[in-house]
Amino acid sequence: MTEDERIAALFASPDRAPDEAFVARIERAVRAEQRAAAARRTAWRRFAIEFAASAAIVVAFGLLRRLGATELPLGQLPVAPAAAAAMLVLGLWFAVELRPAAAGR
Amino acid sequence: MDQDSELARRAAAGDAAAFAALVRAHEAAVRRFLRRLAADSGDDLAQETFLTAWRRAGHYRGAGRYRAWLMRIAWTTFLGAHRAGRRREAREGGVGPWQAPTDPDLAIDLDRVLATLSERERAAALLCFGEGCSHAEAAEIMGLPLGTLKSIVARARAALVERLEAGNDRG
Repeated sequence: MTEDERIAALFASPDRAPDEAFVARIERAVRAEQRAAAARRTAWRRFAIEFAASAAIVVAFGLLRRLGATELPLGQLPVAPAAAAAMLVLGLWFAVELRPAAAGR
Repeated sequence: MDQDSELARRAAAGDAAAFAALVRAHEAAVRRFLRRLAADSGDDLAQETFLTAWRRAGHYRGAGRYRAWLMRIAWTTFLGAHRAGRRREAREGGVGPWQAPTDPDLAIDLDRVLATLSERERAAALLCFGEGCSHAEAAEIMGLPLGTLKSIVARARAALVERLEAGNDRG
């Protein structure tokens, strides 16, 4: 027997069946990882939607403020910007309240 | 495509059952390697290794054996834990000697001889003699140039032969 064969024989371990307890431990850890990843994704999605909604509110108030600054008689006020601002607020409400519910909140 | 590559592809797509099959196929080798490197914390490091493999499943490109890819993660996991342990022990005063595993399945003589080698020599010997890796594979796993790995293996081999013969002479 050569030196290399002696060394290899020394390192040789008998084959054994897979350790199912260890496999189950890893499976549990993987499931926990999957749950944590899903929770992170949901949190980021909500953050993005709510950030966009907040930005939309600021823009809407900015538009309304510019409308209020004009001193035109009521009948001559431009309707389109006011309608656009109202649509923006409505869209904002839709994004914040309905989208997360659809995503399974 | 071999079975491991197919399972790895499914695991990368989020199939936990495919990943469990990979764990079942390779846990013995990974735990044997880490137990002999890290003694009693080997199983915790093996769990960390498999979790890292799950998180990075998409990084396995099918080049080389899946087991070699897993062993590379095991080695880097061991190195990280080992460095953290050394820093902690240095703070607390003194670095303790490597402790032989308490697992009765592992041969006592070999453990005693392995304990006298450096971490790199021990890992190189375990990969080349214990796990049947080629020098190129072991170099890839340990992130070393091939020539450096061959020198380390040669040193480890010489030390193993010398200490085993010394043991035989006493016996």
